[in-house]
Amino acid sequence: MKQGEQSRAATMLLIGNPGNRRTLGLQEARSRWGLKPAVLVTYLELLQAAEAGGEAISRLLASRLPQAEDQGLLIRLDAPGEQADVERSLIGLGAHDREGDDSLLPLSAAARRTGISAAEAALLPQEKGRITYPGQWFRGYCRLLAMISREVIRLWPKAVWVNAPEEVAVMFDKRACQQRLGACGIDIPRRLASGSAISCYEHMIREMEQDRMNRLFLKLATGSGASGVIAYQRHPLTGAEKAVTTIGIEQRDGMQILYNSGRLKQYADHATIRGLVDWLCGEGVHMEEWIPKAGIAGFSFDIRQLVVAGRACHRIARLSRSPITNLHLRNRRLAVEQTGLSTQHIERAALAAEAAMAAFPGSSVAGVDVLVRSGSRLPYIIDVNPFGDLLYGVLHEELNPYEWQMKP
Amino acid sequence: MAEIRLTIDYDSYESGQRMDNLINELAQKPESGTLTALTIGDWGEAYQNSPDTFLDALIRNKDSFPQLRKLFIGDMSFEDCEVSWIVQSDLTPVLQAFPKLQSFIIKGSTGLALPDLEHDALEELVIICGGLPLEVVEQIRSARLPELKKLELYLGVEDYGFDGKLEDILPFLEQGRFPKLTYLGLKDSDIQDEIAKAAANAPILDQLHILDLSLGTLSDEGAEALINSERVRKLAYLDLNYHYMSDEMIQRWKATGMNVNVDDQRASDDEDDWRYPALTE
Repeated sequence: MKQGEQSRAATMLLIGNPGNRRTLGLQEARSRWGLKPAVLVTYLELLQAAEAGGEAISRLLASRLPQAEDQGLLIRLDAPGEQADVERSLIGLGAHDREGDDSLLPLSAAARRTGISAAEAALLPQEKGRITYPGQWFRGYCRLLAMISREVIRLWPKAVWVNAPEEVAVMFDKRACQQRLGACGIDIPRRLASGSAISCYEHMIREMEQDRMNRLFLKLATGSGASGVIAYQRHPLTGAEKAVTTIGIEQRDGMQILYNSGRLKQYADHATIRGLVDWLCGEGVHMEEWIPKAGIAGFSFDIRQLVVAGRACHRIARLSRSPITNLHLRNRRLAVEQTGLSTQHIERAALAAEAAMAAFPGSSVAGVDVLVRSGSRLPYIIDVNPFGDLLYGVLHEELNPYEWQMKP
Repeated sequence: MAEIRLTIDYDSYESGQRMDNLINELAQKPESGTLTALTIGDWGEAYQNSPDTFLDALIRNKDSFPQLRKLFIGDMSFEDCEVSWIVQSDLTPVLQAFPKLQSFIIKGSTGLALPDLEHDALEELVIICGGLPLEVVEQIRSARLPELKKLELYLGVEDYGFDGKLEDILPFLEQGRFPKLTYLGLKDSDIQDEIAKAAANAPILDQLHILDLSLGTLSDEGAEALINSERVRKLAYLDLNYHYMSDEMIQRWKATGMNVNVDDQRASDDEDDWRYPALTE
């Protein structure tokens, strides 16, 4: 069932964090259309229940929707981020010394035994911006999704997910996502070594020489937004290197601490770059060619194209004077129609985003990041964000993204 | 007025397209006769191929471009090629081949040379780069460009090729070198404060309309000298865009009523108060 076909009486179960802009935006939109508020079950509640096992999750869900009729029940997963307790619990759930259902973990064979124990995770100090064990965090998230998914099937076999948990997991892992898109014939940037796992800096350099790639994007496979992204280049003749990145490095008590920097950092020092690349390889990394992006007035840009129920809707161009365009780095935004792209090229980008979503038949909402190549203006899909519908001030047919999705 | 931009992207370079072919083709077309402005963007793997691969074609076909007045070699963004990676060349022969050229813009300074620079028509010379080698600074200093009205030099930083000192820049602040100069840009420098202090009371300001000290590491120190200078006050326009001045200094500039650009205020990097010019990022 596509979302547009849902009945007005549909009950929605929302799995998210309370009080944030996503949850509020969704509830406001439901209220606008006269729909019952979505029933919120928070990640924190689910994680606490998960400590007691699947049955506790089942009890929690059933207690929130005592009369839920399975017919027409819609379940929406929202972003788990930005809440310290949730972060810590997911890292704990993903610990290697814990049992867990890794059936939703894409590329589980590639997952390394890195990270910390469940006991250590419980004591992990939370500092805003600090990057902590993203590979382990993602394993924890996939384990939680697997548990929820199993209990939902048991409770409400006919319930429909806005985005299917197993597809959310694939979208979230950039390696798995690009692999799926490539297999579906979607245009994506060339992957270093055709996407096979890169083990360390030396390995990356060998493959770069082999593939004649001098400029790469290195992306933390399971990072959200611009977290853990490096625009890397190495001169093939001189060996000079440069890394422009959101990763900040701080030395503290002889330890190296990595954090998400609000401002771009630039590193040219070999040892530093090598250390960052090795760390990314340990956590899981996606490496792709750096395709020159189309630009306007000294800015380059890409397009965040929202796709709902198979159709492209809201979109915005993200401008940057640097190679990294993600919104939260205080970059500028512009209506796509004002970027100088022709109607035809905008349409092509929208069609590419719709085609990318077709690779996820169990999902009906995602923010698809489309890169438009400078010169040819051809579109490439660089990311499919399962929680990518939070777009401030962007309207489609006069509705914001949540109003559009909830529209009867 | 016809303008044309030639560029070779990754795909067309991989499929064998080359800039000398594009220039030869252009020379055969009728519009070459009325072409006034030619921009050459990426010529393909510009980090290892110098313009020597197409300069001959341009020079050989010079008679096909009788109206050419503006030439830009290397118009590519950081998306195409890192500016400090762009390989340039000895470009004096191009200027010699086009004696009526009025505007010459160059991007990239690696391998760049402009020896024995003499040109009777050139009004505008702009070099955009991450670091201008001392050798090029000296070549421009000793150039004979009687019609030059605008000189804009990105000085840059040592890591990207600037191996000069303030003393090497000072001669540009003397009068008489370029008698018709009205726009002087000494910008994108990590010694922007020193340049500002030296420029603040330089006699050359009397002939300038525009002083451009933008895109560098200008702070209150250099700004103080500028704002107190009567000569600076008389400028038609002062470009300080991209700077490290304080809020207070920005207010003082606004209070002068001068036509001054103080946009794009930068904050020093927290850790070690590191400041860097724009085109090194």
